[in-house]
Amino acid sequence: MAPDIPMFSLFFASIFTSNILLANFLGMCSFIAISKDINSSNGLGMAVVVVLTFTASINWVVLNYVLIPLDLVYLRFIIFIIVIASVVQMLEMIIDRVSQTLYLNLGIFLPLITVNCAILGVSLFMEIRQYSFLQSAVFGLGSGLGWWLAIMALAAIRKKTEKSKVSAGLQGAGLTFITIGFMAMAFIGFTGLLQVQ
Amino acid sequence: MNKQSLPYTVVFSFIVCFAFVFLLSLTHQATREQVQLNQQLRLQRSVLSALAIDYQDDQEVLQLFDDIETVERNGMTLYRIDRDDEVLYARIFAGSGLWGTINGVVGVNEDVSRTVALEIIDHNETPGLGGRVDEPEFKRQFRDKPLDDGKIDVIREGDTEGVDGRINAITGATGTSNAIETILNREFERLRDALRGEA
Amino acid sequence: MSDSAKQPGQILKQNMWTANPIFMQILGICSALAVTNLLSNTMIMTLGVVFVTGMSNLTVAIIKSLIPRKVRMVVQTLIIAFYVIIVDIVLRAYLPEISRNLGPYVGLIITNCIIMGRAEAFAQSNPPLLSLWDGITSGMGYMGVLLSIALVRELLGFGALFGFQVLPAGFEPWIIMVMPPSAFFLIGVITWGGKYLMHRQGEPVLEGE
Repeated sequence: MAPDIPMFSLFFASIFTSNILLANFLGMCSFIAISKDINSSNGLGMAVVVVLTFTASINWVVLNYVLIPLDLVYLRFIIFIIVIASVVQMLEMIIDRVSQTLYLNLGIFLPLITVNCAILGVSLFMEIRQYSFLQSAVFGLGSGLGWWLAIMALAAIRKKTEKSKVSAGLQGAGLTFITIGFMAMAFIGFTGLLQVQ
Repeated sequence: MNKQSLPYTVVFSFIVCFAFVFLLSLTHQATREQVQLNQQLRLQRSVLSALAIDYQDDQEVLQLFDDIETVERNGMTLYRIDRDDEVLYARIFAGSGLWGTINGVVGVNEDVSRTVALEIIDHNETPGLGGRVDEPEFKRQFRDKPLDDGKIDVIREGDTEGVDGRINAITGATGTSNAIETILNREFERLRDALRGEA
Repeated sequence: MSDSAKQPGQILKQNMWTANPIFMQILGICSALAVTNLLSNTMIMTLGVVFVTGMSNLTVAIIKSLIPRKVRMVVQTLIIAFYVIIVDIVLRAYLPEISRNLGPYVGLIITNCIIMGRAEAFAQSNPPLLSLWDGITSGMGYMGVLLSIALVRELLGFGALFGFQVLPAGFEPWIIMVMPPSAFFLIGVITWGGKYLMHRQGEPVLEGE
């Protein structure tokens, strides 16, 4: 039975208060590696939005119409990963044929996405929370937008902190983590806007 | 044999997939009964906890559960036990938490004026935040708690000890705490309807 | 990193310290940070990671000469997923409480970059037993950092260790330690401290990003 959660709350919470990255720690690797550069961050962010929305929906269908009827739910990790890899591959091919500009801006980031934990994470959350199809799609879209927002914000901040003088050990990753900590606090601050957490 | 050729790649992939899935199915089958037993035990343990019955081990759970009577009222399944001159009921509930369904068992006395205990079966709340709904600290508050006008009131600040119906919210998880309040108050309502005229 | 023909002692030191997957290479933080607010969850989760990294490294090293190049990544993913599912099934059957607590995070071990990274960088070019050792020590380097984060978070956030109350009852828990941001602060501070010490020792510092 799908939980009875208002769509808007789910959407809002997945972008802000329960941001897939800042509250659930998913998709950190590429987040830290790519946020050095603002243009790449934008491209990867958009790619994540698209892939998350598709994979959450497709995995919902696979889960509810294939795995559950066949009693194969224990194989879900493998199946979800295969679906994600295929969706990413297909998107890459489609974008390559449709628009060269789009491919250069977005397509080159697609291979990075298969190993982004946020993608598998959203599908697993969808399974464990027993969302309906629409809820899964909204949750996927919201999580993607939240991830995009977070990486853009961090890329902008890192552009500033890059030039600041800090202690040798703190430079780079250490400073980035502490910045992310402050961002996470700020995002939790959205809680007051809507009674979700 | 050329290991980069297409036939080899296909055959290799097929064999690897087959071997892994086969091994996984074996493991799954081997542990299946254990998993089902776990679920059944978990349910029985939860019902016992909700009726404030202590147990030591799984063997005792099965034994104690035999004393509990299963009854149907208004289409609801209730677990009933006679103890210390009173009749206690437990009911399994399900309701929406912040992130997904919260399943649990709540025990009440006959006229639903007091909770006996609360037990959570499963939930999908954020670990460490709403997830603390399943911690003894939170659940203990429901041990023999008199209701206030048939309801509980989950509050963030103020005295709760000795005040009828008042429960301390989980720190940092207002959403989950409110969800628990809504779910339980609705259950009390239903239980009252079902048990009316029993006494 | 392509290390070849290393001694077990060197591998241990490298994976636990100079090339620690977390604070030197910033890999694989995704799946496990979320469970660092309680020590017992972190313990089981990271033991799972140690098991999966070790076993998948071993398996990759054994069958590496049989894997066609085109499907190498897919086969590696499959091997990793296989061991993760084993962990999931075992937890479900024998540790149902912990399994419920960890929720989706067990499955996310699959996308933990450390495991794939070690399989690619080490197991592909080293003998099976050494690869197993490399996997286990990498997992332990990861475990060390996460357990220290969990130690601080549980102690200050709940006043407890492994669920046992250790601080006096008058202790006011730090709510921030229960919330996600504290994990970022702590990992930032650990990275800082680790790199600082390494600078002082004059070790060559890998610029992890």
